[in-house]
Amino acid sequence: MSMLLEVNNLHVSYGAIKALQGFSLYLEEREIVSVIGANGAGKSTFMNAVMGMVKRDQGAVFLKGEKLPGKNFMVVQNGLSLVPEGRKVFAPLTVLENLKIGAFSRAGHGDVNKDMEWVFSLFPRLKERIHQHAGTLSGGEQQMLAIGRALMARPQVLLLDEPSLGLAPIIIRDIFAELRRINEEGVSILLVEQNARQALLLSHRTYVLQTGHLLKEGLSKDLLSDPEIKAAYLGTREKR
Amino acid sequence: MENSVQFSTLFQQIINGLSLGSVYALIAVGYSLVYSILSFSNFAHGGFLVVGGYICYGLLSGVDVYGFFEIPSSGIWLASLGALGGAGIVAVLTERLAYKPIRERTSMTLYLLIASMGVSIVIENIFVILVGGRFRALPQDIFPSALFNLGWNVTVSSSDILSLVVAVFFLGGLQFFLSRTRWGLAIRAAACDLHTAGLMGVNVSLLISIVFFVAGLLATVGGIFLSVRYTLYPQLGGITTKAFVAAVIGGLGSLPGAVVGSLILGLAEMLTAGFISSQMRDLVVFSMLVIMLLVKPAGFFGRQISDKI
Ligand SMILES: Nc1ncnc2c1ncn2[C@@H]1O[C@H](COP(=O)(O)OP(=O)(O)OP(=O)(O)O)[C@@H](O)[C@H]1O
Ligand SMILES: [Mg+2]
Repeated sequence: MSMLLEVNNLHVSYGAIKALQGFSLYLEEREIVSVIGANGAGKSTFMNAVMGMVKRDQGAVFLKGEKLPGKNFMVVQNGLSLVPEGRKVFAPLTVLENLKIGAFSRAGHGDVNKDMEWVFSLFPRLKERIHQHAGTLSGGEQQMLAIGRALMARPQVLLLDEPSLGLAPIIIRDIFAELRRINEEGVSILLVEQNARQALLLSHRTYVLQTGHLLKEGLSKDLLSDPEIKAAYLGTREKR
Repeated sequence: MENSVQFSTLFQQIINGLSLGSVYALIAVGYSLVYSILSFSNFAHGGFLVVGGYICYGLLSGVDVYGFFEIPSSGIWLASLGALGGAGIVAVLTERLAYKPIRERTSMTLYLLIASMGVSIVIENIFVILVGGRFRALPQDIFPSALFNLGWNVTVSSSDILSLVVAVFFLGGLQFFLSRTRWGLAIRAAACDLHTAGLMGVNVSLLISIVFFVAGLLATVGGIFLSVRYTLYPQLGGITTKAFVAAVIGGLGSLPGAVVGSLILGLAEMLTAGFISSQMRDLVVFSMLVIMLLVKPAGFFGRQISDKI
């Protein structure tokens, strides 16, 4: 395995609020890494800082040893693609248009149609609804569309911010199964979750974030049986 | 006899109304386009049209550009091209210099609105200082002025036909750009969620510049026709109030809405002028606005009800 993504000593603040105070992680090729933490731990802030969506006070992000630029659209062009918290599909656009805009950063490079077929093979329900407006999809379908849209950029790293948010347990299981399949087909995944159980079950390694600090890190299977983690993060099945 | 006079007036005013409405539409879509992306009404929009109008006037009246480049007064096409490009660039610069610094510091669109009012005053006064407040007529021979008799006492001037054709051409071009091109799709996505459009790898600053360029360009197309109709003066931009009303009636942020609203407004104005009195035109226009805001505040095609001004 070789190092794919490296995040060093990330600091982010909103005015006086220090949301992230020196958080680091790495992701190897073909790995699934998750970051778990409670509400307000700084998970979304971390993702947005990696994507260049919020200003970093300190710290840098490296992809295959190359420092990523600070501008959001350049980060995407360099191979990072985020499925944002709350899905954020373009409601008035059709499913097809949402997928097409996902491929924007490629400027027509590669076989876009082939990748669209791949997305449809992962999520057949999207194909059935190809001309439907994204806003009319169910929550689960919108999450599938958001993932498909991010995959259309053919990213080196797929980042997901709480894909389980607001979905029924059975749909969450489906989506996580698809994430595993996507990873098996060669996409490295960085996942941020409040649903610690699902995240630990899916990922190879996990970082535990608490109010902007690293609390713990380790193999996900070890953390699943860690008494401290069990008490704090696995006590209740559904947090929201 | 009485009936046939009524009928020919009706027919005549419908044609005039469509022609005027199509000019409003060129201006209104710019308002809507900017509103759909940045959620504020850009009151400097009328200024872009004035800039374009004066560039066109300057080029046509044979301003010596560096002493070697002179456009004959018949070169309306060349002068228009210069005006469209020039106003587009001024629109982009306005955004970069006046709005972007505000956008980067706050998400309160009220500040953008106030800045746009300031820019509008600045542009108006630049022209008062540079060229004076006089009314200027574009050379009369720039547009063919033949009248066609359609029978039943209905005549159409070729400049009315021209403005209709040109408006359809440009609005069709805009529609093609938005629905068939990569950047057009990006603009539609950004109209829904600018932030998330950035996540798709869209250079949002560039996208906003493109939107302003297009808005400035289309406003100038309308502006040139308005200058022919009403002459050119630094306050001509004020006439965009009507286009703004049209955009609101159609539903701010919606392009089909802007076009439909403009045509309704143009027709209403001309029918009022034809059957009631010319002085009642503006009264009717603003009554329509008030009624629309009371009955259907989001406009015919509006997406959400929120503060539109
Ligand atoms: N735009 C903002 N302005 C000010 N403070 C913010 C902003 N965004 C986040 N914060 C603060 O930063 C901290 C971390 O927020 P963040 O959204 O990263 O948490 P999170 O772990 O993603 O939470 P959740 O699980 O609820 O999504 C919180 O205290 C939050 O209030
Ligand atoms: Mg979050």
